[in-house]
Amino acid sequence: MNTTGTVLTVAFTVTCAVGIAIVTLVALSTHRRRSVDIDRIRHAERDWFVAVVVLLVAVLAATIAFTPYGRSARRDAQIVDVQGFQFAWVVPSATIKAGRQVEFRLTSRDVNHNFAVYTAGGKLLFQVQVMPGKTQRYVYTFTRPGTYHVLCLEYCGVGHTDMQTDLRVVT
Amino acid sequence: MSAELEVSRRWAFRYLIASTAILGAAGTLGVLLRDSQADVGRIDPGWWYALMTAHGLGAFVGWAAFAVMGFSYWVLAQAGFPLRPWGRRLAALTWWLMVLGVAGVVVTTLGFKFGGSWVFLYPLSFHAAGQWGRWTSFFFSFSVLLVGLSIVTWCLAVLHTILGPALHAVSDRIPNRIGVALGFGYLSPTRFATNPRPVPYAVIPLTAIGIDMIIATLPLAVLLVEMMVQSLSPGVHVDPLLAKNVLWFFGHPVVYLLLFPAVAIYYTLIPRYAGRELVAGNIIAVGWAIAVTANVIVWAHHIYIDYPSGTPQAALNVTMEPLTFAITIVSALSLYSLFFTVYRSDFQWTAASTALYLGLVSWLIAGFSGLVNATIAFDQVIHNTLWIVGHFHQMALLGIGLAIIGATYAWLPDFVGRPLYSESLARWHVWLTFVFTMFNTAIWMYQGLLGGPRRFAVLPHRYDAAGQLAVPVTIVLAAAQLLFAFNIVQTLRGRRLTADSFGTARAISVGVAVLLAAAVGGWAAVGGTRTAKTTAPAAPTASPGKTVFTTKGCSACHTLANAGATGTVGPNLDEKKPSFATVVEFVTNGKGAMPPFKGQLSSAQIRDVASYVSQVAGTR
Repeated sequence: MNTTGTVLTVAFTVTCAVGIAIVTLVALSTHRRRSVDIDRIRHAERDWFVAVVVLLVAVLAATIAFTPYGRSARRDAQIVDVQGFQFAWVVPSATIKAGRQVEFRLTSRDVNHNFAVYTAGGKLLFQVQVMPGKTQRYVYTFTRPGTYHVLCLEYCGVGHTDMQTDLRVVT
Repeated sequence: MSAELEVSRRWAFRYLIASTAILGAAGTLGVLLRDSQADVGRIDPGWWYALMTAHGLGAFVGWAAFAVMGFSYWVLAQAGFPLRPWGRRLAALTWWLMVLGVAGVVVTTLGFKFGGSWVFLYPLSFHAAGQWGRWTSFFFSFSVLLVGLSIVTWCLAVLHTILGPALHAVSDRIPNRIGVALGFGYLSPTRFATNPRPVPYAVIPLTAIGIDMIIATLPLAVLLVEMMVQSLSPGVHVDPLLAKNVLWFFGHPVVYLLLFPAVAIYYTLIPRYAGRELVAGNIIAVGWAIAVTANVIVWAHHIYIDYPSGTPQAALNVTMEPLTFAITIVSALSLYSLFFTVYRSDFQWTAASTALYLGLVSWLIAGFSGLVNATIAFDQVIHNTLWIVGHFHQMALLGIGLAIIGATYAWLPDFVGRPLYSESLARWHVWLTFVFTMFNTAIWMYQGLLGGPRRFAVLPHRYDAAGQLAVPVTIVLAAAQLLFAFNIVQTLRGRRLTADSFGTARAISVGVAVLLAAAVGGWAAVGGTRTAKTTAPAAPTASPGKTVFTTKGCSACHTLANAGATGTVGPNLDEKKPSFATVVEFVTNGKGAMPPFKGQLSSAQIRDVASYVSQVAGTR
């Protein structure tokens, strides 16, 4: 699992555990009835509203920097032109150097595809949409040499799962 | 029952019966798809994708949307808004358009193998790779258009019902009445005055979705008409990025076509079982004001990883991230109100109310994963993985499905004027559905976090173990729905299970027997295929040319019996029997639709594959 995946697993599990604990307490509260100040709860909904807004702004602020848009490649970046079509990838055989930026330029000859690069161990490194009639760029630096595996992550027809290829990254 | 209520009852009941039948069919397809992925009853990929298309549209629109559309009439009637004559006509038209549309989808997918997926991402419909024809594409688009029109006529029926005299709005002006129906009176009682009473909370989400779905569906209808034309005249086309935006401009709000009416059900039934009014203040009207607006301007969160150079898509995507966050506020406020309505109340725990409560729990949990999806930084990792499949099954099958199931158990007796056949069977059904759907979706989400791709007829082997775990889970889930169907049928027949209690030995033994049989059957099936696999003789080592052929994409387009390839995009190599030189030439430089591979394959690899193909073509 990649780093973001691990962060998500932990954060999501903890949040769900807290949520389930709260709803369990609410359900149990119906079995031993006590008086409750409905008006106070009704008014506290405003505080809850503010709390939710603050929480959402916090998540937004904490994650927005990791948005991949607008990353531009350095001058010495290796340009790799990728073409997708039903049902294969056309990737230049020239090997990619580890530690040097790669600018992938991706396009499709027919339908939408999605260029997803995994490590040999199956860890998803990144994915980028590949559209007909458009070119999308993605800048990435492979830190380790080795063979990386490419899948198509946008459903593109009967041979969708056959759209696989390898990328060789050398020192 | 008054004559006015009788009309709403009749249509809500008809929608319920039709949608529940579709649930049975679509759910069965879902089990087949999931089990095929786990190698239990493997389905040919072309058919797998056709089944996936039928399952997606059938379950989403034909079951969930159709069911909540029907219950909306009854929710409105309960709130004092019965269908009036035009509402009744529109409700009838909606029913027929939906039934015909779903029937068309079933015929084009299960009959004619249309496998473009339920989002039929433009221009996939016209690149069928030999799987379906242009008329199939034409009739599929037409069928979806009928479904879209049915949504629009439903919106008109709902708005016509709400904006009538039952609203008790002081003003006669339509914009003012719409404001009243959206709950603005809770914020400004003088401007949006009502007499004698404010609008019931349940009316607000129905007004919101009635407005939004008209706005969201019309552009899609235009695209569908274009797709019908393009099916027959391939020269006509539109920009794929524009088409994608139009699709999701509809595709996001259509999710709320399920959620908002489900919220109206929760707003109506939770207070009833809690014996107190919904604990909501004025602020919830702010939440709905945000929701009705944001709903039609958040679509780009479905295409966060689309940002081609020279287009404004990246800017659009970034703008829509905070808007998507904003739309979660209404869920946060609604859940606050609904849980506090239950809190320390004299809540009656019946099968119906348990379903509703577990539905709220699922809405909360699925809301958390929804927030993950709404965040661009996280979406990079989970986009188009099985995490998404887990998220929306949790929301649709539980967050909304349990509202439908709860409403069915609560209102079916009112619809037919007879008590429910068995309360304890209903409880078994509710708990089994909740527990096993949670289990099933948790597996998906875990596989997704590991990078497991969605919409893969055959998953990479590293996801096999988790997939096989899902087999008995899906079988139990399906078996639980038989309890639902049986309970409904028996209720319709006027039967009643005697000595009816949660603890009856009979119910428990039935439940346990079904569970055990299903689980054992599931595992036996998995174990059987595993054993067969491991005892099969090892395949002889493939020649280098065969390896190139099977791993570099050749088999996707060409048929070559020796390599087990059955592609139909390019020429059948067993028939063409190309020479060594021909293969080298075409693979190196391309030919027609076939791209050149000289950049991708080394000259040694090209010679290997040419040697292999020229030797084995036409043999086995």
